[in-house]
Amino acid sequence: MTWSGKLVTGLGLAALIVLFGLFGPLFTGDPATIRDIGLTPPGGEHLLGTTLTGQDVLAQLAHATRGSLWIGVLVGVMATVLSGVFGIVGAYAGGVVDEAFSLFSNVMLVIPGLPLVIVVAGFVPADQRGTWTISLVLAITGWAAAARVLRAQTLSLRNRDYVAAARVSGERTWRVICVEILPNLLPLLASQFVFAVVLAILSEAGLSFLGLGAANSSTLGTMLYYAQNGFALQREAWWWFVPPGLIIALFGGALALINFSIDEIINPKLRDRARRKRDVVAATAEVAPAEPGAVLTVRNLNVVYQGDNPVHAVKDVSLTLRRGEILGLAGESGCGKTTLAYAINRLHRPPAEVTSGSVTFEDVDVLALGPEELREFRWVRLSMVFQGAMNSLNPVTPIRAQLQDVLRTHRPGMSTPDRELRCAEVLRLVGVDPARLGAYPHELSGGMRQRVMIAMALLLDPQVMIMDEPTTALDVLVQREILNEIKRLRDELGFAVVFITHDLPLLLELSDRIAVMRDGEVVEYADAEDLYLRPQHPYTRELLASFPSLTGEPGALTR
Amino acid sequence: MTTLEVRNLTKKFHGVLAVDDVSFTLTAGRTVALVGASGSGKSTIARMIARLVHPTSGEILLTGPEGVPLPRRSYRDHVQMIFQDPFASLNPFHTVEHHLARPLRLHGRSRTEVPSLLERVSLSPDLARRRPHELSGGQRQRVAIARALAPGARVIIADEPVSMLDVSIRLGILKLLARLQREEDLAVLYITHDLATARHFSDEVLVMHQGRIVERGPSDDVLVRPQDPYTRQLAAAAPNPEARFREGGPS
Repeated sequence: MTWSGKLVTGLGLAALIVLFGLFGPLFTGDPATIRDIGLTPPGGEHLLGTTLTGQDVLAQLAHATRGSLWIGVLVGVMATVLSGVFGIVGAYAGGVVDEAFSLFSNVMLVIPGLPLVIVVAGFVPADQRGTWTISLVLAITGWAAAARVLRAQTLSLRNRDYVAAARVSGERTWRVICVEILPNLLPLLASQFVFAVVLAILSEAGLSFLGLGAANSSTLGTMLYYAQNGFALQREAWWWFVPPGLIIALFGGALALINFSIDEIINPKLRDRARRKRDVVAATAEVAPAEPGAVLTVRNLNVVYQGDNPVHAVKDVSLTLRRGEILGLAGESGCGKTTLAYAINRLHRPPAEVTSGSVTFEDVDVLALGPEELREFRWVRLSMVFQGAMNSLNPVTPIRAQLQDVLRTHRPGMSTPDRELRCAEVLRLVGVDPARLGAYPHELSGGMRQRVMIAMALLLDPQVMIMDEPTTALDVLVQREILNEIKRLRDELGFAVVFITHDLPLLLELSDRIAVMRDGEVVEYADAEDLYLRPQHPYTRELLASFPSLTGEPGALTR
Repeated sequence: MTTLEVRNLTKKFHGVLAVDDVSFTLTAGRTVALVGASGSGKSTIARMIARLVHPTSGEILLTGPEGVPLPRRSYRDHVQMIFQDPFASLNPFHTVEHHLARPLRLHGRSRTEVPSLLERVSLSPDLARRRPHELSGGQRQRVAIARALAPGARVIIADEPVSMLDVSIRLGILKLLARLQREEDLAVLYITHDLATARHFSDEVLVMHQGRIVERGPSDDVLVRPQDPYTRQLAAAAPNPEARFREGGPS
């Protein structure tokens, strides 16, 4: 783990304050000693001056810091345990237990915390209002929000296969919770503990300031309470109230910084946001003259994921897509096929960077396009059907609106009836009844949604469609229908397709030419028939052998 | 011989029949393939046999080698499951060692068996100290297979064990399962949507459609000469480059 500036600053500040609270009282003498030197400004014997009754502010500050920290830790631990019990156990147990726990958390959540604390603290007689009582009250009013977050996270974790696997192997429930689920919640628990500590210190300061804090205790809040009662502000005795206020603010800030860092550890995406630029195209080489009949030409394209360990994801790839051709791009996970598709479309995002090479679409140098030209190029001339695209439809608007949006953006001059006609037309093209235009995505099956995505890609009559694993999540029967649809549309409309998948038999059946990719390189690029009957590269042969034939002899597959 | 018999198994989810009156028997030394499209109820059957889901009705009977029914509490000593996604079925927080030592201990064995378990699935015992994210997909699935073997299970439910893996390592994993089944005389239920591997890696095939078994029989009969219209459709839908290039079919 690299130590971010935030984490170092946060931990450093918090450590200083904790050390001061732990060891300060040992060196500063008795904070209660009254002297006849009231309100001496800082300097000399009293580094931070004295209070109205001549007590040493530094000594008071040290003891008060210790008291506040103690309450913070007590409340932090209690609130975390409470939220863990109600959030994690409830979510894991499910059913009635979950309903009851969840209802209870929700009720606790809507009760406004601070007023309740004031009422409760006010009811307990002052002489019984010890540190523990106050901590308990603060913990009870402060755990509910965390419990809800933990519940949501546990609900997702309990359905993970590793939890099911632990149950199948015979683990007891408490062990599944403690050993399989809890460790994966640690970052979340840590951040909630930190948050509870900050909240407790602030709430306690507020209570004490109102005179409702723990009796006979010394915290930063009681210090402020006495400063207020001694008219420190009016007497301009800033040294009396600024230090405790500053410590509260600094400690709160330090813990907030630590929490940010925990968030960054949980979610690495937050980490290098600052470094990110919009679109990265490093070098644009001279554009090679396109081969006649080619609609899309990729020449020596290189894409690198920049970082501490740069990953060369696409290495010197050259491909030519002819008009009306179906080009298959075969490869396994991590071979660079999706990165290549994104780079062709200029959809790659940092840290991915095109380091060299060219992408030519007819006579357009794609890598040199400006933002506005790019907008006119994408989807209009080259559209894309993404992996898992059927799940990328907006669930809350009917598909009509989503199709019309594309037209409204790219064909602003088009009239409403024309738009409607065009949407119906493309749906008909992909074999979906135009009556379904009013349907919401959840009312359509996976295969239908995938067809709608293909329809959306067809809306603007592109010359090229890039399809990234468009049928992988679908059933064989639905896949068959969609493949037939793609072949038919290609024959009718004459566009070219780059079809990306790991399923080589599918490509062999569908494509005119096939490029096989491994580790970012195209290892073989040939007509489908040649590739099938006369594979040249060992990796192609390995891939071909990985798909046993349904009707053929078992051959090498004898068990 | 340990056998697992499934009798009239039915599962309803919110009134919808996910599994409808399914019966079959798993016997030692044989692999039964359960094929069908997603949503056909295959995984629900796996989860009921693994006791992760309660059947609405029907029975799952486990009979020991002496022909006597085995008590419920020792069920998990005998029946284990391999999950579809090795990226999800191993806890990212724990080492390989933990994943194997726990089931060994739970079923009265010693954690000193971890190295030999890893060797049985053709992994180096050095991997025991690693965590899942340091392993490839194939290695993870081998660990998951070792975990299923750890309690000494005689019946293995493999729910789409290779569909999340890269194509070039799928056959290796299937061959490993076939070898273990043969050498250790296991009863295996191989759940898949891939008819070709179902044909080559099983003795008997059950074809599921909308919760029901629509066709069953020896794998070559069912998949090469299917009788049921749905099975025929499935068989015809699989990509078949053979037809395009070798038999001069339409392209």
